[in-house]
Amino acid sequence: MATINIVDLQKNYGPVPAVKGINLSVEDGELIVLVGPSGCGKSTLLRMVAGLESVTSGRIEIAGRDVVKAEPAERDIAMVFQNYALYPHMTVRGNLEYGLKNRGTPRAEIDRRVQEAADILEIGPLLDRKPRQLSGGQRQRVAMGRAIVREPAAFLFDEPLSNLDAKLRVQMRVEIRKLQRRLKTTSLYVTHDQLEAMTLADRLVVMNGGLVEQIGTPTDVYDRPATLFVAGFIGSPPMNLVPLSAFSGADFSALPPNTDIVGIRPDALLLERPEGPSVTVEAIAELLEPIGGESHLHVKLTGSNQSVVLSIQGRPHVDEGAALTIFARPADLHPFNSATGRRTDDPATA
Amino acid sequence: MIENRPFLAFLTHLVLIVGVVIVVFPVYLAFVASTHGSGDFMRGLVPLLPGPHLIENYSFMLNEGISSAGAPPLWIMLLNSLVMAISIAVGKIIISILSAYAIVFFRFPFRMVAFWIIFITLMLPVEVRIIPTFKVVADLGMLNSYPGLIIPLIASATATFLFRQFFLTVPDELMEAARVDGAGAMKFFRDILLPLSRTNIAALFVILFIYGWVQYLWPLLVTTDSRYYTIVMGIKRLAATADSEPQWNFVMAAVMLAMLPPVLVVIFMQRLFVKGLVETEK
Repeated sequence: MATINIVDLQKNYGPVPAVKGINLSVEDGELIVLVGPSGCGKSTLLRMVAGLESVTSGRIEIAGRDVVKAEPAERDIAMVFQNYALYPHMTVRGNLEYGLKNRGTPRAEIDRRVQEAADILEIGPLLDRKPRQLSGGQRQRVAMGRAIVREPAAFLFDEPLSNLDAKLRVQMRVEIRKLQRRLKTTSLYVTHDQLEAMTLADRLVVMNGGLVEQIGTPTDVYDRPATLFVAGFIGSPPMNLVPLSAFSGADFSALPPNTDIVGIRPDALLLERPEGPSVTVEAIAELLEPIGGESHLHVKLTGSNQSVVLSIQGRPHVDEGAALTIFARPADLHPFNSATGRRTDDPATA
Repeated sequence: MIENRPFLAFLTHLVLIVGVVIVVFPVYLAFVASTHGSGDFMRGLVPLLPGPHLIENYSFMLNEGISSAGAPPLWIMLLNSLVMAISIAVGKIIISILSAYAIVFFRFPFRMVAFWIIFITLMLPVEVRIIPTFKVVADLGMLNSYPGLIIPLIASATATFLFRQFFLTVPDELMEAARVDGAGAMKFFRDILLPLSRTNIAALFVILFIYGWVQYLWPLLVTTDSRYYTIVMGIKRLAATADSEPQWNFVMAAVMLAMLPPVLVVIFMQRLFVKGLVETEK
């Protein structure tokens, strides 16, 4: 149980900056998900917290203690790796015990903790097997078991689910969430999968190019993306970002000044006029993708050739090539400025 | 290959059998020769069936040896060879696994230079550097001693290179997981890397033991005291008698005994080697 404080943390690989000054404070028992595209510095940030990567400048405090110069083992953290990194020649029990043995934990205590972790993760029958005799999901559990037995101040997860197949991934995601709730251990979790990020996180940290774009709860980040990058990154299909010039004749005087681009979620675009005021735009239907309960309709706005995606419940009958009128409620428009990349209706960033 | 082609099966077996006969026949001849009396070779006709003097010849060679050729009893030479081969094999493995560990897992200045220097020495066989090496060993007073036999041959670029290649395949995460688990550099080496290298060590031990066992030129140079003769160079001395015919029955008994330990090592380690291959996985 601990807080993690990251203050102005920077990392350069030679002349190349990977992490360009990050501030983040993780509350006790919170699960923070770092999400972003490849190369955004999220893994580097996690590895610096773990102590596997040196820090160029800045401070990392775990439980109020500055750990920048501490060895990974002295930081009281446990890490779950993407490829599990189980010791192949040791049994599951050996894998779980190894860290405790190195710290000189008494035998009885080791046995108690291993048993406890095995019970929590339901890997009791596997304790005497070698990692290669386990399935991917079982290896994943053992890797988590190795983290749990240490009873650390914080868990660090480095894309732990990306080696699993889609079905198992969903299942393990739920289990990680339950486990973290139950143990109430402060956790940092890195992923590039935004669905994983949305479902797991107490708070999301969206990163891009070595900087934090936005920190907030998943619903906050989804409902009010702070930047154009976040707007395009979170949500599937991604938010439509349309320059105001693409709308012909619509009245945007209600939007904040400096707004020159608006974001509209695919499910906020409607084929029928909603009640109350609305923005309308003409478009040509290009492609209809039915994906089960909903359909994605790709259209091109008349006049600007801007591509836009609509997400529609059910399976509408729309002919490809048909002319459509698309409606949106003014309240569903996210106003941005394309030069700063930021929201224009946010008092802090306007 | 699941095919039923009798002629092909016959042909492949024939080729195999001919090959085996070609390889085994000289060994068989040596064995036959070692079981005959000393006069049996003077007739000019080599016997093809074992004779009655097997135990007599072998016990004579093991216990007394041909003192007229300046050779000690065979058991001394066998023991010398064993000490030399095992020390070289073990020494080479220890030194090369540690240097490979340093080169792969640590970042230090001139790391690649160190690696390339080791790699370049691959091109220099013992024979090329034998005169300066002899000079150094002689100046250090190590002629006619075990260290003199062993130390000049104990560094191995090949083994270092092989261990390096193996270590490069070990995922970095394994080392990182060990660091998080509180294992320092040597603890990681001992607890994780060494057990993972078991098969490589077994395979290398076989190769290096045989390398040490068959050393001929170097023992010939540094030993003048018969107490330090090794078996492979000793055979040469047994055969080179000045005035009389070589006593082939005794020489061949020595040859058979010299062949035995490498064969045993291969047979014994092979099992371990295969077992290791089946059991471990990265």
